Amino acid sequence: MLSRIADNMFWLNRYMERADGLARATRYFYILGFDSWEGDTLGYGPLLQSFTSLSAEERVTMQADSQHLLRFVIQDAANINSLKVLLSKARENARGSQDRVTKELWEQVNAMYHFITNEGLVNKLKGEETLKVLDQLEKHCLLYNGIVDSTMPRGLGWEFMNLGKFIERSLQTVDLVDAYLSPMQYDLEQNDNLLYWRRLLYALSGYELYLKTNRGSHHSRQVICQVIFNADFPRSVIYSLKRIEKYLQSLLEENPHPDAAVIIRRFGRLKSMVEFTDTANMNGQELKELVKQIRHQLWDFSAEFSRLFFSYT
Amino acid sequence: MSNMPANQVIWDEMFAPEGVRNRYKVVYEALQQMSGDALQAKDLQAADFFMNQGITFTVYSDNKGIERIFPFDIIPRIITGKEWDHVEKGIQQRLKALNMFLKDIYSEQQIIKDGIIPASLIASCPHFLKEAVGIKVPHDIYVHISGIDLIRGNDGKFYVLEDNLRTPSGVSYMLENREVTKRIFPDLLAQNQVRMVNNYPMKLLNILSSLSPRPVDQPNVVILTPGVYNSAYYEHTFLARTMGIPLVEGRDLVVDNQKVFMKTTAGLQPVDVIYRRIDDEYIDPLVFRPDSVLGVPGIMSAYRKGNVALVNAIGNGVADDKAVYAYVPDMIKYYLNEESILSNVPTYRMEKEDERKYVFDNLNSMVVKQTNQSGGYGLVMGNKATDAELNELKVAILDNPRNFIAQPIIQLSTVPCLVDGKLESRHVDLRPYALCGPDGIEIVPGGLTRVALRKGSLVVNSSQGGGSKDTWVVDIEE
Repeated sequence: MLSRIADNMFWLNRYMERADGLARATRYFYILGFDSWEGDTLGYGPLLQSFTSLSAEERVTMQADSQHLLRFVIQDAANINSLKVLLSKARENARGSQDRVTKELWEQVNAMYHFITNEGLVNKLKGEETLKVLDQLEKHCLLYNGIVDSTMPRGLGWEFMNLGKFIERSLQTVDLVDAYLSPMQYDLEQNDNLLYWRRLLYALSGYELYLKTNRGSHHSRQVICQVIFNADFPRSVIYSLKRIEKYLQSLLEENPHPDAAVIIRRFGRLKSMVEFTDTANMNGQELKELVKQIRHQLWDFSAEFSRLFFSYT
Repeated sequence: MSNMPANQVIWDEMFAPEGVRNRYKVVYEALQQMSGDALQAKDLQAADFFMNQGITFTVYSDNKGIERIFPFDIIPRIITGKEWDHVEKGIQQRLKALNMFLKDIYSEQQIIKDGIIPASLIASCPHFLKEAVGIKVPHDIYVHISGIDLIRGNDGKFYVLEDNLRTPSGVSYMLENREVTKRIFPDLLAQNQVRMVNNYPMKLLNILSSLSPRPVDQPNVVILTPGVYNSAYYEHTFLARTMGIPLVEGRDLVVDNQKVFMKTTAGLQPVDVIYRRIDDEYIDPLVFRPDSVLGVPGIMSAYRKGNVALVNAIGNGVADDKAVYAYVPDMIKYYLNEESILSNVPTYRMEKEDERKYVFDNLNSMVVKQTNQSGGYGLVMGNKATDAELNELKVAILDNPRNFIAQPIIQLSTVPCLVDGKLESRHVDLRPYALCGPDGIEIVPGGLTRVALRKGSLVVNSSQGGGSKDTWVVDIEE
């Protein structure tokens, strides 16, 4: 496979995964924003911290006007992480790899692009139309994932796409977790009110699973265990790392590389670090260090991976 | 739908003086049954289809990129099987001669020595490339892919207006137009038993594969595109997808030891055949334009050595130069000893004094074209230009006569089009796409009908406000 095409497919799915995460998070933050409670000090803060590059002060200002906030995260072309920009970048990558992605996939990315760039959309981000738009965005993302799964041939392209997707997903989860843990100084004994964690769990599609599998009142520790260490939860860090490992192995079998051993060792250390964490006895500072390490090692891994396979210029 | 009177001066594809032509009867009756709203709905459906497929181009204004579709008119253009068979034979004959001309002009130049074509005409042609002289191409085929522009005059005959032998575009629109017709007029398509076009990519792939310099079962065939910002990029992706071959950019390729390779995740892989959609002057910065970033340094050395096949061949522009065009009937006679099956539009060469005088005396009824321009650019319609513009034109012609030809203004045939919910006549041409391979010349039935959507306009180019129609070849006798 052409290195440029591999690069395009990797980034197509990274952007789409980021758009998917942002669309879902925005929808749930918006819905749950109507259920105010006295301990709700964060509001949209974690969403803005994880999915935008706004400073702490700008995040506070932005929260004062939810309509403005929605326009900013959805359709503001000046926000480099708005859905509009993400989907435009995804489309450019899909366009650049059109000979490798399926027609169905291209048409779905294209349909999403036209949906998000429709000039009339901005007027719908208010009042009763808002949730309808957010529902449609989430449905579009689900449809994209279904189309990828049911039409894309397995092989190198598939592996590059999935590596992009799961690198993005694990970073997203880590960022959201950090946005919730930082305000409580990583003290796992704090915030045992499930309401504090509800937006995070919904944003990761993990609320139902949480209710089904957790009892008791140690919600902070239990939520962290689910979103980082539960291998059955598809948006947990460990789940994503295991998928990365699987696709990396398949990729290197099909496409051997002389420097493969280095990248495999580097990734193996990261995965083991998460997998063998003593979750029952882990304290807040250890967790903080772990989150920091996951993030940094994923960045390094991603950069090294790009260097090995995409350096075509 | 109102009855449209047949125009006696202009050939209308749907209406003869005595009424609706046989080929259009089924379509005409169906259109009569449809309301304006129903037709508008089909028009919208077609526009949605093109938009959702991403068959668009971007218009930039106010720093915003607005996606537009290429205009498509839903009413098909219909040609009878008998007419088509004649056109097909004519194009095959023409391409055979043009291929022989290219082989000759880049080797012995016998046609010049025998006095058929003046040496000065070739020497002054900017598309004659000395770098291509002596290069041996596989199977002696230079023009693998061509689009021959035809017009129908008021006598009902097809004439050749222009040959496109370099990188003709539009074939994807021909194929996509048919796909949209399947959605908006499925019954009419079935009832008329329209000849198939969608095997074009298979035929093209077979020809490309047959050109491989390496005797392998599965040669590496690629399409070389200038990139995502090229106006024909959709077509490049369409062809890559429908043939199942990689779409590469210049930066994906590298030449090593006079062989071309592509940069893959598993290292360098050899490339055997390149269907390049990049003009000659940009293909190799070491040989042609040194500032080109679209091409591949050294590719000409691999081509010259025979290590890679380039499609179409380098230097074809000499054969579709507008001044050389006038000599194609002579080429057919010279190389094949046959009369042209398809006539040229009468063409006056401005370097010939008597012809130039005739044109100057009749400038109001002439269209003057620059020989090195295409896409509807560099064209002056004598009946639309002001006196000042015509005087300016005369000065330019006298300054460089070789740069101009003139042709009488021909009223292209018309076809009804849906304009603002009503059917109105618009002028059309026809570009059939021909494929030349070792086994002969094949032309998919029909081609791209281009429409001048502006009322009264004779300019059909998409860059000048033109649109397109699906073209049906049907086995119905008139």
